Amino acid sequence: MKRTLSLLLCVLLTLSLAGCAPKEETLQIFAMDTVMDMLAVGSEAREALSASAQEINRLEALLSRTRESSEVSAINSGKTVTVSDETAELLQRAVQYAALTGGTFDITVEPLVSAWGIHTESPKVLSADEIAALLPLVGSGHLHMDGRTVTLDEGCSIDLGAIAKGYASDRVAQIFRDYGVEGGWVSLGGNVYAHGTKSDGKPWSVAIRDPQNTAGAAALVGLSNQFAVTSGGYQRYFTAEDGTVYQHIIDPSTGAPAISDLLSVTVICGNGTMADAYSTALYVMGLEGAKAFWQQHSADFDMVLITQDNILYYTPGLQGKLTVDEGGAYDAKLLS
Amino acid sequence: MQLKTRQLALCAILTALALGLSVMENLFPVTAAIPLPGVKLGLANIVTLFALYELGAAPALTILVARCLLGSLFAGNASALLFSLMGGVLAMLVMIALKRWQKLSVFGVSIGGAAAHNIGQIGAAVITLGDTAVLGYLPILLGVSLITGTLTGFITALLVRAMQNLHLSHS
Amino acid sequence: MQSSSPKLRPTAWDSLIVLAVIVLAIGTAIVFYGGLGGGDHITVTITHRGETVEKVMLEALNEEKTVTIDGTYQLTVVLSRDGVWVSESNCPSQDCLHTGTVSRAGQSIVCLPEQVVIRLDGKSDGPDIILG
Repeated sequence: MKRTLSLLLCVLLTLSLAGCAPKEETLQIFAMDTVMDMLAVGSEAREALSASAQEINRLEALLSRTRESSEVSAINSGKTVTVSDETAELLQRAVQYAALTGGTFDITVEPLVSAWGIHTESPKVLSADEIAALLPLVGSGHLHMDGRTVTLDEGCSIDLGAIAKGYASDRVAQIFRDYGVEGGWVSLGGNVYAHGTKSDGKPWSVAIRDPQNTAGAAALVGLSNQFAVTSGGYQRYFTAEDGTVYQHIIDPSTGAPAISDLLSVTVICGNGTMADAYSTALYVMGLEGAKAFWQQHSADFDMVLITQDNILYYTPGLQGKLTVDEGGAYDAKLLS
Repeated sequence: MQLKTRQLALCAILTALALGLSVMENLFPVTAAIPLPGVKLGLANIVTLFALYELGAAPALTILVARCLLGSLFAGNASALLFSLMGGVLAMLVMIALKRWQKLSVFGVSIGGAAAHNIGQIGAAVITLGDTAVLGYLPILLGVSLITGTLTGFITALLVRAMQNLHLSHS
Repeated sequence: MQSSSPKLRPTAWDSLIVLAVIVLAIGTAIVFYGGLGGGDHITVTITHRGETVEKVMLEALNEEKTVTIDGTYQLTVVLSRDGVWVSESNCPSQDCLHTGTVSRAGQSIVCLPEQVVIRLDGKSDGPDIILG
């Protein structure tokens, strides 16, 4: 009896020691107009996080449209400018994504975003004439690039906001690998990168926010070394005087806030920049367009579409990773 | 089993006493400290334990069941019956078993019974609510049972000693 | 029917029972609270008569959220980033009000008369990251 008891005590003691896992560090910063959270586990976790924060601040200084000293502001000034290799490459990718998505993602939509004032305190509804006047300024053709030399047509402007956070998550992923981070994640305002696994070897559990009950989860997805980005009208919107609700994503083809039958789009893949661009594009495309686009590029990414009819579509790559509450708000359907 | 008149009278008195104690307990709900509805300190266990020592297992069990049934009649709800029955019967069975193991004093038996009483009540809560969330209260309640068990044991020891001098149940 | 002479003074063996209860208490605490981690990511589930009526991730709340439960009795549950509490109830026991605010994984608020369970789950089954 006594032996059993002392054995039990030993087991309990061992259990309490096992609680001392490798060091877990967290960091929260405010950058790129959003709150960013990071977590890293590993012997150099702290260093990895501060390097990541520095990198994000560097990218913001480089790519912000609202900072006068940034390269994007230099381009928007209308003069011919020479930019860094990094900016040039990111611009090329943006143009490439615009071509791939049929212009549903387009960094040159900026004049309309500004005119609608979506990201300001006082958004306003544009008239058809006002839109018609600005719409000709939209299109990748206005951006002329020759290596690192960039010229933008008069009146046009660009905003990398729709891929900057995705690109930042790619950079953080590289930093996590360089510092030998065992496991961790970054959440950059709608952009998530999950690195490695949790200490118990399980993938990180990412909750896809319920667009209609924003404190709840529509689904959980287990991710490891993957990026996930969600775009949805619920994230930012304004209600006009006549009661119409306008959400924040401008459809480059109409010059007006996109009218989508989707509540949110989540793109999951191995590239943060692409996930960021595609999530915006697919939201603008709507359900049928998004399905068709995925069928053409199914090797590149997985996605979760939440529709206004309370259906949650997901792609086969997420089978076994995605959990949707049975009897919850959404019926899960597998795309094929 | 045939009860002597004296034992029968004692059973009746003890049932009434147990009932009184459990009603009294309702006036001082533990729930202010441990916010789990239905959980009782188990003062009525004093009677159960005393009956076990003075009268034996079968009468003690009878008193217990009678107390639970009458008590829930007074309280007027069925879930209270489940709580007191599951707590009481489990405590009873554990105390019978522990008492058979001759090495323990009334204190050991009492503490074991108090712990079992709380485990039974949590079990009743899990069944009633269909949710295991209430299991989180078990560690705290087990800790509390050390105190209530010791207290119950102490009072019972005093009572049994007094009865030895009275020779009420011995012929 | 009775044992010869009941032991009325504590014996050394009694401490074994005490030890067993302590071990059981610690054991159940480890089993129940052990896997819950730091409790940064708390999912609150409110069930009413066995049915889930609300599932909320505390850190995803930007403002206080109120959930009303209507049955034989009426309860008002308030959820915020700092925790969960029952602000009003007309149930007879009022235990749910006495519970106060709960904010740590593994804690719960129970209303037995209306069969309401508000439970806080931590890391082990909740999400690590909220997206969107």
